[in-house]
Amino acid sequence: MSSTTVERGPRGSAHLSIAGRRRVRGVAGLLIGVGGLLLVWTLLSEFVFGEFLLPPPLEIGQIMWEIVRSGAFIEHFVPTILRLGYGFALALLIGFPVGYLMGTSRWWRAFFHDMVMVAGSIPGITYAVMALVILGISIFGPVISVGLVAMPYVAINVAEGLDSVDRRLVQMSDAFRRQRSSVVRHVLIPSVAPFAFAGVRLSFALAWKVEQLTEVFGGSSGVGFQIRREFEDFSIPGMLAWVLLFIVFMILLERFVLARLERYLFRWRLEDKA
Amino acid sequence: MSRAIAAPSTSEGPLAVLARFLRSDGFARLASYLFLVVLWQLVSLYEDRFPGPAETFGFLWIEVTGGAHGGVVRGQFLEPFAATLPRFALGIAISMALGVVTGVVIGGSRLAEALLKDTLLVLVALPAIIWAFLTQMWLGLGDDAVVITTFLSAFPFVAVNVVQGIQAIPRDLRRMSGAFHVPLYRRLRHMQIPAVTGYLFAGFRFAVIIGWNAVLLAEWFSASEGVGWRSRYWYDANRYKGFVGWVILFIAFIVLLDRLVLVRLQRRAFRWRDAQLSATERQAEEIDVGITGA
Amino acid sequence: MAILQVDHLKKTFPAIERRSKSTTAIDDLSFEIGGHVFVSVVGPSGCGKSTLLNIVSGIEEPSSGKVSVSEGERDARLGYVFQEPRLLPWRTVMQNMLYVIEGDNGDPRERATTYLRMVGLQDAGDQFPSQLSGGMQQRVGIARAFSVEPDLLLMDEPFSHLDAITARGLREQLQEIWAQTKKTVLFVTHDITEAVQLSDRVLMLAPGGHLYADVPIDLPRPRRASDTQVATAQAELLRRFETMQEDTDAAGAAEVAS
Repeated sequence: MSSTTVERGPRGSAHLSIAGRRRVRGVAGLLIGVGGLLLVWTLLSEFVFGEFLLPPPLEIGQIMWEIVRSGAFIEHFVPTILRLGYGFALALLIGFPVGYLMGTSRWWRAFFHDMVMVAGSIPGITYAVMALVILGISIFGPVISVGLVAMPYVAINVAEGLDSVDRRLVQMSDAFRRQRSSVVRHVLIPSVAPFAFAGVRLSFALAWKVEQLTEVFGGSSGVGFQIRREFEDFSIPGMLAWVLLFIVFMILLERFVLARLERYLFRWRLEDKA
Repeated sequence: MSRAIAAPSTSEGPLAVLARFLRSDGFARLASYLFLVVLWQLVSLYEDRFPGPAETFGFLWIEVTGGAHGGVVRGQFLEPFAATLPRFALGIAISMALGVVTGVVIGGSRLAEALLKDTLLVLVALPAIIWAFLTQMWLGLGDDAVVITTFLSAFPFVAVNVVQGIQAIPRDLRRMSGAFHVPLYRRLRHMQIPAVTGYLFAGFRFAVIIGWNAVLLAEWFSASEGVGWRSRYWYDANRYKGFVGWVILFIAFIVLLDRLVLVRLQRRAFRWRDAQLSATERQAEEIDVGITGA
Repeated sequence: MAILQVDHLKKTFPAIERRSKSTTAIDDLSFEIGGHVFVSVVGPSGCGKSTLLNIVSGIEEPSSGKVSVSEGERDARLGYVFQEPRLLPWRTVMQNMLYVIEGDNGDPRERATTYLRMVGLQDAGDQFPSQLSGGMQQRVGIARAFSVEPDLLLMDEPFSHLDAITARGLREQLQEIWAQTKKTVLFVTHDITEAVQLSDRVLMLAPGGHLYADVPIDLPRPRRASDTQVATAQAELLRRFETMQEDTDAAGAAEVAS
């Protein structure tokens, strides 16, 4: 896609291409934003809350660094991310068929309608404590919570995506006497995939928050578990450090990894002609 | 519900009527509830600490009618709600006020936006549990902590929506009123506020759903009365049917509030925009705000 | 050995609005096609040519009459080329080729490559359709239909969406492939000159859907658009077409007057 190209102008001086300029502006914007954040934070810490209640950025930064350096970051982020992944896989696994049913049959749409609607309003604490009661302290709590939270989004998006399947491609498949399973596999699923993916992206923020909460209650590892430990140790700086590390990581994950993934999966769309 | 059960014609046998009923939307809905109850029952069989539907509804009956559980503890229904609702309302009110102010500041000035947008993003991303923990460490137990957790969790969402609302005003419109030198007051009244109302309302709906979630969470940890506290009470006593019963109550509350009141109001506020949405898009909007916002 | 037998075929579409009448797309059509022939069906828009193809391919049902498509005992294998290429956009060219021969005997990749070579696209296997021009996509569509090695190949105005130059080139390529593979082709078009250039036999449909004429074209192959003989035949058929138009208009006027 776009890259920072440095072209030689007529007088031999370097100037950035449009894409390059955009990149620089983006980075500058980020720096200003982060700067603003640190500024507000420092002010609040110094003058409003006091250093104990709201530790200054430097202190938190040091702890964050320590967490990363000591490997604790990896030790706890990996399980958290894995569970997130499994949870989304579950959401896709359940969401696709549910969405398919909702999109193709009126009866099934009526069947799932209420469930899908309510699923959106269930408070996170419900998932967290229920998981604890039913499953005890286990990896399945977070996974199932993420799955249940994200599933309605996937289902609704898949249902919508079915509307957009190109009938002409289905006709073509019929003309060539393709089997139903083949049509589903080669036409329906790829048509609907972008929508399902959008469902995942939409529910991403929600899903990781619920996962956090579930881990706080019933985890034995993971970021949520660490947060709970810091809370029990009455350590505000520790808690904030973990949470901020996590948030930054999640934002980066969504903005870069998910976006890249989306671009890769859908690279067949309007490729640049070589 | 469905209108599928029409008056049978004289030539239709009872079997055909039954078939038609089974194929109706109304039955589909009924079937989904039955399915959930059966699923529930199965889960409770699998995990015997987890109460089944019969137990839970039995419990709820006693709790709601103020009977005596096990002959000893008195059921409470109104008291917890009476404690929680004021905190909830206060928290929402403060979120709206603070959220609108923040949103207007950030949305209105490019400098403020550049400086503060990322801060807002981080605030949106902070899970409510963090606020619950923080306020508990700051303020200990009690009302204040709950209200503050509620408003801290909800206000960033209000702010974000307000920012979107303001920025959605097409620049041309803004320029136009500038070109005609429309005085600020009139600008606000006829242009900015109506355009923003829809987003304002969306922000409000977010605030309510997230706020409810936050209130429960906060009460779980820091309160001595209220809905969240009550469900914890039963949980600590290992009476899981009490816990699950209250879960049903608080889900029912927010679902009813959302579906019956908020969605109607939001549709009105967004009338001008919804006119363009297709039926499927509208349905997707309905599920949209899935905010379990932990 | 008739591959395609059409027997008193009729297809009407019910009225859409209450006030309009139902449309007869095909009216008592009967003909037979067999062997290594290239047959065109020509007619103005709205005379049911595409409907005929849809019925033959099984996408639509006739209102009455019979269509039988068979190779001896069994049902004939069909290939179809549409007006738009109708390639799966999320699959590469090669994957698109493989999609239609899934489950057949022999080495599918080899077969696909062979047919891609016939249209000159043997190196495009790894590209996505969006990376190809319209003409190239259509060539893939043609290769795809031929690769099925069908008993009957149906083509629905395959060049109508292309510019004249590309279309001319593709017509020549089509003749080459057809000569090489010896298939039975049923080719629908509104362009009489195209029909004359490509076919052994032209079925002219009148508006209203009945068979107006069944004209054999007995010219040597390969035929180029610039050949004088081809041009003469084209002019003659055009004249017949104009006559048909006049007759139809006259009939229409008479009906209005009565």
